[in-house]
Amino acid sequence: MVSKRFIAKRLLLLVPVLFGVSTFVFAILHLSGGDPARIIAGQRASEEVVRQVRQDLGLNDPILVQYGRFLVDVVQFDFGNSYQVSKGNPVRQVLIARLPVTIELALYGQFIGLALGLPLGILSAIKQDSLLDHTTRIGALAGISVPIYWSGPLLILFFSGYLGIFPAAGRIGSTIFLDNSWTLLGMELPLTGMVTIDTLLLGRPVAWLSAVSHLFLPAITIGVYSMALVSRMMRSSMLEVIRQDYMRTARAKGQGAKITVMKHGFRNAMIPVITVVGIQFGTLLGGAVLTETVFGIGGIGTLIVSAINATDYPVVQGAVLTFALLFTLVNLGVDITYSYLDPRIQQ
Amino acid sequence: MADGDNGMERRDFLKTAGAATAAATTTATAGCISSLTGGGGGSLVYARGDHPENYDPQQTTSGEVAKVTNQIFDQLIQFQPGSGGALSDGLAKSDGWSLSGTTATLELKEDVTFHDGSDFTAADVKATIRRFTDENYEYYLGTENASGYAGFTFGNWVDSIDASSEYTVEFTLTQKYAPFLRNLAMFAAAILSQDQITGLDDQTELGTNPIGTGPFSFDELDNSNQRVRLAANNDYFGDGPNVGEVIFKTIGQNSSRAQDVVNGDSHITDNLGAESSTTIEEADTAQIKSKPGINTGYMAFNMARKEAFRDRRVRRAISLAVNTEAIVNDIYQGFAVQTGQPLPEGVMGRNPNVEPYPTDKEQAESLLEEADATDIEFELATFSNPRGYNPSPIQTANQVKSDLEEIGLSVNINQFSTFSSYLDYTSAGNHDACFLGWYTDNADPDNFLYVLLDPKVDMDAVPDGQDWVSFDTEGYSTLNVGGWANTEYMQLVRDGQSTYDEATRKQKYQEASKLAHDEAPWIFVDHAKTIRAINEAVVSDSFTVSSVGGPYLELVELQ
Repeated sequence: MVSKRFIAKRLLLLVPVLFGVSTFVFAILHLSGGDPARIIAGQRASEEVVRQVRQDLGLNDPILVQYGRFLVDVVQFDFGNSYQVSKGNPVRQVLIARLPVTIELALYGQFIGLALGLPLGILSAIKQDSLLDHTTRIGALAGISVPIYWSGPLLILFFSGYLGIFPAAGRIGSTIFLDNSWTLLGMELPLTGMVTIDTLLLGRPVAWLSAVSHLFLPAITIGVYSMALVSRMMRSSMLEVIRQDYMRTARAKGQGAKITVMKHGFRNAMIPVITVVGIQFGTLLGGAVLTETVFGIGGIGTLIVSAINATDYPVVQGAVLTFALLFTLVNLGVDITYSYLDPRIQQ
Repeated sequence: MADGDNGMERRDFLKTAGAATAAATTTATAGCISSLTGGGGGSLVYARGDHPENYDPQQTTSGEVAKVTNQIFDQLIQFQPGSGGALSDGLAKSDGWSLSGTTATLELKEDVTFHDGSDFTAADVKATIRRFTDENYEYYLGTENASGYAGFTFGNWVDSIDASSEYTVEFTLTQKYAPFLRNLAMFAAAILSQDQITGLDDQTELGTNPIGTGPFSFDELDNSNQRVRLAANNDYFGDGPNVGEVIFKTIGQNSSRAQDVVNGDSHITDNLGAESSTTIEEADTAQIKSKPGINTGYMAFNMARKEAFRDRRVRRAISLAVNTEAIVNDIYQGFAVQTGQPLPEGVMGRNPNVEPYPTDKEQAESLLEEADATDIEFELATFSNPRGYNPSPIQTANQVKSDLEEIGLSVNINQFSTFSSYLDYTSAGNHDACFLGWYTDNADPDNFLYVLLDPKVDMDAVPDGQDWVSFDTEGYSTLNVGGWANTEYMQLVRDGQSTYDEATRKQKYQEASKLAHDEAPWIFVDHAKTIRAINEAVVSDSFTVSSVGGPYLELVELQ
């Protein structure tokens, strides 16, 4: 049982982390140069107009005043309105529309990483130094080393260009549009924003197939990296576990090798893997920035890229803080799970 | 035995799952493609590189927004598709416009309706322009929201608008201004609905549900999938539309976008780099269509900051040393043409007798010796991201650096990661030299020669015997990033701006082009071609590549 005190303590620790991230993001953006007013007004605007826009946006105020204003808004989860990428619209609204897209991609990536990484890691450990082991280790090394901006286009080239079996970009067929809500027992409910789920909720199998086929390549791209990490961690963890006395005892009592590995070895070997999976979720979110750009997926990743290019401070700040919040919450979840599996952690 | 059974089941399962996945994928992908080529006009899919979320033509300077708003809205006067800037009728009648003195009069078409069913009248024109430029108008967009086109298109030139007659608009201009009718054809001059303007509490909201008179009406903004869907306007007063709907989808990566067109998941795309264009050229299912572009790419010498550049011989020497032919052919891979003057082919006033500077390092060295400037060191500022007129800025900067090292000059490349910080830097005049470029707004020579090379200061502000001014001179326009202020040139382009006789204008601009070439305030580098890729599902002749205005999707037909 995880104590409430432990959870409360962990939640309180989120505050300084998020404060630190917000300060860091604010500082980086404001020190990196670039004038949002110039972008908003455009190349053709006179200096007078640019000055006026700067004034209207409060960009002429002292940096500490701007920072104070920013902090007051942030604690209310209000990042202001977008300067450029979604001009005039509240950043919160923009993020809410884009967040499920990124989460969906990260979840599928995580799923692929676990579905392939766990068995490969286990097999690699129990068949240590075999051809399979070496192949898996080399594959894992390659998976970690190959950058997404290279593997993504390569997958597109092969599966979309050469074989022609998967679409090159997007989340769903170009002409397939979904409703904004679905109905359950006469009640109109909002959709999740995740196309593979929404298409099922709306009962549109062809759209679902289209969504799955569109997500396949990006999920593989992001999942391969995850798979490589999981398989490496699973292998080393499993190698340590299978040398434990209790494993030998189970075998000595006549238990089959497979059952021993799966029943006793797997559960114990999973403990460090869970930590890696949690930390890795953050990496997946980071990977989404590149994956979304390569595959034309409109999540937070592409939003951040567009916002940085447009010097859209509110959107960049909002998106990075949302990523930070997600990352810390997932880690909190991992800590709780971990402390549940191993109560000594709570001490 | 049990294990063996399980093993068989697993294999069967894997086989079945594999077959199902393959079948599902093929069905889904095929479903996408077949749905694109469906009948009843069909769905035209246009892939682009970015997905802005606000489609108000008065709030943006983005070409990605303009290609959507040009489908939804009409201008009073429009560019003829693919003509390189010839004007044709829009919401004003074809024989119904005139420009005389400081008065522009336009007779408007009757029986034109907005997508919400309301009638188009002169009041809409007046409300549109007042929303954009008039701080005293109740529905003024606000300085922080209105784009830089507000002053550039109307504000600097329009003194008042008379819309007292229902179908006649009369503009009183602040001065004689020859490009005015062309300004009316710019994307930012799109005519909005007065009803919509006055019905909005917050003017910034117009961009999420724009209502125009154009061939397509705004149907759906799907931000999470980065798409915009437009529906055919069957009551459109002009030609077309020939498709049932247009979908703008977004794929940031050029190579992915090109592949999408090859696969048939998109029909048309633009802004492809050289490499991605090759993907299209090698495919059987797609083709490249191109036109000479109405743009210019250059390297400006900042005379206000770097004393050595105030000597014309130095500027000419550097122009002779930099191999612009290699830049265009090798670095830009032939997707641009070399130039020796600001105006591209097809624009009135381009001087046919002016050739690009040849690469002649010996002559360059002797000019530098003559000017006693053989050991110059300067900073060359450059942006990082590709732009049409300079698709490889870093490589281009390196070419300049290596060419100039051969004649003994030192170049320090100063690279900027974001274009906004770059513009900030150059507009403050902090650079010694910089790369920049320009895409035309209206295909008028004034849009290049006056906008980019006239400092817009009083003639009297230029000291005698000097051909530059500092950036803090009153009225100085930072679009001129070199501080160049040649009074002879300024007189020519200002005369051209206020002359309505085409032949006289042409002559003045040709003279100005020659003068610019000789004085070399820039290294004139290139004019990028306008390149589009189309899938075989598009009837090839129905899509016209346009270097200004458009894309004209209402004319596109699908097979």
